[in-house]
Amino acid sequence: MTTLTERPTTIAADDPRLKDSSATRSYAVLGVLVAVLAVLPFLLDDQTETVAVRTLIFAIMAVGWNLMSGYGGMFSFGHAAFFGIGAYTDAYLLVQHGVSPWIAMVVGALISAAAGTLIAFLCLRYKLAGPYFALATFAFAQVFLLAVQNIDALNRTEGFNVPILSEDSWTMMQWKAGSPLYFWIPLGILALGLLGTIWFVHSRTGQYAQAVRDDETAAASLGINVMRVRLVTVAASCALTSVAGSFYTQYYFFVGPEQGFGSAVSVNAIVPAVIGGIGTIWGPLVGALIVGPLSEWIADVLREPPGFLSFLEGLSGLDVAVYAALLILIVLFMPKGIYGTLRDRFRS
Amino acid sequence: MKKLSLAVVGVLIVLTAAACGGYEPAEDEVVIGSVHPLTGALAGQGEMMHEGAQLAVDDLNEAGGIESLGGDSLVLRAGDSKGTADAGQIEAQRLVSEGAVALIGTYQSDVTANVSAVAERNRVPLVIDVAVDDVILEQGYEHTFRIQPNASSMGRDGAIALAELSKANGKPVRTVSYLHIEGAFGQSVHDAFEKEAADQGIDVVSEVTYPATNFTDATTQVREALAADPDVVVVTGYYPDSLLIAQAVRSLGGDVDALYGIANGGFDDSAFPADSGPAGADVLSANYHYAATDERAQDIRARFEQKYGRTMETSAMLAYQAVVVIAQGLEESGSKDPEELRDAIADLEIDDPLLEFGGPIAFDEAGENENASVTVMQIRDGKVEQVFPDEFKTADIVYPAGRAAGAKE
Repeated sequence: MTTLTERPTTIAADDPRLKDSSATRSYAVLGVLVAVLAVLPFLLDDQTETVAVRTLIFAIMAVGWNLMSGYGGMFSFGHAAFFGIGAYTDAYLLVQHGVSPWIAMVVGALISAAAGTLIAFLCLRYKLAGPYFALATFAFAQVFLLAVQNIDALNRTEGFNVPILSEDSWTMMQWKAGSPLYFWIPLGILALGLLGTIWFVHSRTGQYAQAVRDDETAAASLGINVMRVRLVTVAASCALTSVAGSFYTQYYFFVGPEQGFGSAVSVNAIVPAVIGGIGTIWGPLVGALIVGPLSEWIADVLREPPGFLSFLEGLSGLDVAVYAALLILIVLFMPKGIYGTLRDRFRS
Repeated sequence: MKKLSLAVVGVLIVLTAAACGGYEPAEDEVVIGSVHPLTGALAGQGEMMHEGAQLAVDDLNEAGGIESLGGDSLVLRAGDSKGTADAGQIEAQRLVSEGAVALIGTYQSDVTANVSAVAERNRVPLVIDVAVDDVILEQGYEHTFRIQPNASSMGRDGAIALAELSKANGKPVRTVSYLHIEGAFGQSVHDAFEKEAADQGIDVVSEVTYPATNFTDATTQVREALAADPDVVVVTGYYPDSLLIAQAVRSLGGDVDALYGIANGGFDDSAFPADSGPAGADVLSANYHYAATDERAQDIRARFEQKYGRTMETSAMLAYQAVVVIAQGLEESGSKDPEELRDAIADLEIDDPLLEFGGPIAFDEAGENENASVTVMQIRDGKVEQVFPDEFKTADIVYPAGRAAGAKE
């Protein structure tokens, strides 16, 4: 009997057909991508870099959101809560206690992971699923927003201004405006986030998480601890989103309740993932690269439009219309998102 | 998969490359960047303010441009904050990269907090046209200046004016109920009012707050404010909520000497008398205001209306004034260097402000206008008139303003 159970395992591990080549390939793509993006600060002017940085922040949020909602199947409409926790932990520790943002980033991520786990536990414990789970996360984010607006220690509605230093400082994560570090740091965070996602998707827990997403009952009957797997996914998702929030504060020098916890923030985490492709590794990134620069790009075109578009000159608000049209078209014709749909087409 | 990955990388590079490129100012141009909400819920306000600034630029260019720069002309470049802080920052950064020597803006306090950080880090002066929050200038920024009074000075001056005008009309105020919007704006004005009111012998008997969003009926809050039986109901808020409050005070038949706005975004708006009808009659409002007694301001307003087809509110006059401040700074410094311009603005004195201020525009250490002050307006016969202090009077005050503002049939 023992020989029978042991032999297949050794064979399976050695079998080249079962080697996970897609993970290796994803790591390679990530490496190339980061290398290519890393030279961007040398090519971009100051203004374009601000757009690029915002795009990276969107991408980090979307990658974080995608872990929980794409791979975990728990649709979150309240990721602003975790973005806000990251942003406020950074602002509070820095402004009130002079703590380095690097440390604050980690502290914020831990608090977010804890808060997210607790919220998800409560929702799952009481069997909230689908739209009810999404509404519950939305409600929690609103609770955070109202709480922050009424807590004196968090400056209520006034928010925090990050003090501007006269010299560059690594400890305080502050450099002169337009420094390439403001691009490389979020790029590094994004790379780590994607690295973690690739690893997670191919790991045992990640496989379990996807099994639970696809069929909870079946997964549970095979002995998977559904709650544990889900909470781990949520914790990772919230921690990553929180880091994006901490960086936001450092980059924008100001955070108020709306910037941290507003419902627009939750939408910013969802839209890139939906446009790019939910539950795919590269979808959120592709989506962010489209949504991030979209409004600036359209505004640029409208400011000095080429001849055949000259009738559009000076129009404002067109970016919102394009944005809406894009969303509708993608939902109609590419329900798996741009990357997700293209991938399926290439495969078949 | 391999092909797809390559395609993705390719698309990324094309997209980023497409986002490059920008504006280059000509040799004989001086660029001013104007950051306002041009799209979104506040687009109406933002556009009007941008038009105010544009009119100033046109007027100055017509008068010969900047003399000390050999008649170089001004160019106003628009930035759209979309009403959000991060978009405001991106636009401000773009304008600075495109050669703006100074910025004006932004109508909202949180966006202004962000843009002032951009100005400080790029060492380019920002002249705030509208943004009320005290904390913006409490950061020790050296490049930000504000023309209008800040929240706490409006609260303080509002209390003083209320005490003085009620005394002068033989019915001194003893008690007020204070209704204000939740958030930094309402809270800071209220706090400053309460502090000064105590010294003036006025007691705030009730403080009632209401939410900034989804506020569709003011009856509950107004009833609570009236329950304390105050002499006057004071209101700090924006346009739609102030309109609801005025209507509720009338429909509840509140028996008060006056409905009195401080830093109120509704009561002295030129659309308010028509929108509020009888509920708006005799409503008082202590606020910064365009100089209704000044011929130059009247002329600017008339030309604005002719050109843009709408009434020029005070916020647009502040945008006009902000451009004038920068132009004057350029004239004094004789240089397009933002640092020299900043120093010139800091030392500036403008003797003929277009706002009803108690003295010339001059900035203190923090960047606040030393002589920014409030005027009291009243809605008289469907028009907003200046009624206090006497030197700025365009009509006589009615005080007490009848049973509630407008409740007399």
